[in-house]
Amino acid sequence: MKEFQISGRQKSVLFGFMGLGLLCMIITFIIDDAYQPRFWSNFLINSVFFTGISFIALFILCAKAIAYSGWQTVFKRLWEAYSMFLIVGLVLMLIVIIGIFGGFHHLYHWTDEHSLQTDKILAGKAGFLNPFIYTLFTIVIVGVWYFFARKVRSLSISEDHNPGMTFDIHRKIKKYSAAFLPIGGFTSAAVIWLWVMSVDAHWYSTLFAWYATASWLVSMVALTILILAYLKSLGYFQNVTNEHFHDLGKYVFGFSIFWTYLWFSQYMLIWYGNVGEETIYFKMRQTQYPALFYGILIMNFVLPFFILLRNDTKRKMGTMIATSIIVLIGHWLDFFLMIKPGVLHTYHEVAGGHGESHSTLTNGELNARLVADAAHGAEHASSFQMGFTIPGFLEFGTFLGFLALFLYFTFIQLNKANLVPKGDPYIGESLHHHV
Amino acid sequence: MAKKNQNLLFGLYDDEEVLLKAVKEANTDHLDIHDVFSPFPVHGLDPLLGLSESRLHIAGFFYGAIGTLTAFLGMTWIFTKDWPMIIGGKPYWSVPAFIPITFELTVLFASIGMVVTFYAINGMGPGVTNEVLHNRLTDDKFAIAFDADHSTEEDLKKYKAFLERSGASEIQTKEI
Repeated sequence: MKEFQISGRQKSVLFGFMGLGLLCMIITFIIDDAYQPRFWSNFLINSVFFTGISFIALFILCAKAIAYSGWQTVFKRLWEAYSMFLIVGLVLMLIVIIGIFGGFHHLYHWTDEHSLQTDKILAGKAGFLNPFIYTLFTIVIVGVWYFFARKVRSLSISEDHNPGMTFDIHRKIKKYSAAFLPIGGFTSAAVIWLWVMSVDAHWYSTLFAWYATASWLVSMVALTILILAYLKSLGYFQNVTNEHFHDLGKYVFGFSIFWTYLWFSQYMLIWYGNVGEETIYFKMRQTQYPALFYGILIMNFVLPFFILLRNDTKRKMGTMIATSIIVLIGHWLDFFLMIKPGVLHTYHEVAGGHGESHSTLTNGELNARLVADAAHGAEHASSFQMGFTIPGFLEFGTFLGFLALFLYFTFIQLNKANLVPKGDPYIGESLHHHV
Repeated sequence: MAKKNQNLLFGLYDDEEVLLKAVKEANTDHLDIHDVFSPFPVHGLDPLLGLSESRLHIAGFFYGAIGTLTAFLGMTWIFTKDWPMIIGGKPYWSVPAFIPITFELTVLFASIGMVVTFYAINGMGPGVTNEVLHNRLTDDKFAIAFDADHSTEEDLKKYKAFLERSGASEIQTKEI
């Protein structure tokens, strides 16, 4: 069986895209307003998106180990490789944290000292929404995830030298999985509150963490389909057949419906309850971001639902790849819509209203720039703004850069281990998988 | 599905693995299997018998679509024309509030429609009794049946020999 070897061409293409991403980020940084809201929000969206994909890959691996599932064994190295990206995700989130402590950005309203003194709601939430908790939770939680990811992966690799196909190592994997599932389930909710939901610091929804996690899950499966199809065309993963793709297609189909269910549950309760503090979240998105607001519903529900409804479309590579691309971009746009409006709003509030209190604003020149930006921002608040109301080329370039980083890291990890886990006791079941 | 009043020669098997092997053997020997009976769906049997995929799910899709339209148009008519009511200060035509019920009726129509269709196609229903080939076929036995009416003596011998050879625990002929 062929071992994975990252080719020179792949490397240059991936580095090319990483360079493109970096270039886009630099351009964004330069043309951006003071405090670079567009640059930082792009950075946050992509960091959260890809960190989440690697987390959910580990979560699904553990869930499958617990559930005696065997069919994924032939490509489980890919999910293990995804989960190793968590360390990069930690570094990316640390950059956001450095930005918080350095006062480089205003992604989060609760980091603004002046707002904390005047805003009762923010002051009331300060026990949880503060830089210290943000840092502590991010480092500890992602650190714990990475620990489990390494443990599960190293145990899984050590299974290669398991001639008797015994369950000894598999039982150990199951123990770690059983420990990780509740930890991962609760902690992922906590980081989503901190990383994503606190962008709209006044607003909260109890369903939000599930909804964002479902978004990660669909993206992860869609990316898996795309990468498996690509690697299979190169001659790797020859044991992954239509049967495995069929099951992955069911995942995309089923979890797209699950995502829609959560999206709608959140939307309908807020719409029905009609509490101003809650409806503002959707009001803002529906009136100022209509293309994205309705677009993600079409991309993440209507299209995958009707395309993958039939049995045979899940077994054809053309429809599967098309659907995977649609939902992958759709869920990235979903995160875009979760983060951008809140960041823009915070930016206008903080930089426009009382930015003077900010410690870095002793510089008169910067002060003048902020006043100009506030006028600029007010002008944009009710109209179209590239990079905020819809993603521009720079956003997609940044996305491609992060995607290339993720893929490069995944390929490096695939390089390190035997592609087919030949000592896994479930390998036989997976090789003969039949839907 | 067997027609009424025909003689079937069948062999009972104890295990579905043996049954699958026997069906494969019959295919290579070009024996014309009339039908195979099993208490549960045997994985991989359909392609061996050359059965085409069921079209029941296509019917299910249309039943579901009818349910969607019934619920959505029905509520639209009720709440805008027939009996407009203001509930919670919402407009008469409140689409988000209709969606849960639309979903429920879609599922209800699709499932009931499919059950009724399935029963009708298979000649089943309340009060209808169908004779079974062998009682234990509803429990733990499997059977391969050959059409005894339209077979020559020579063929029947061949079938019997095949059933014995392939591991049938019991061979019988029954009119059904």
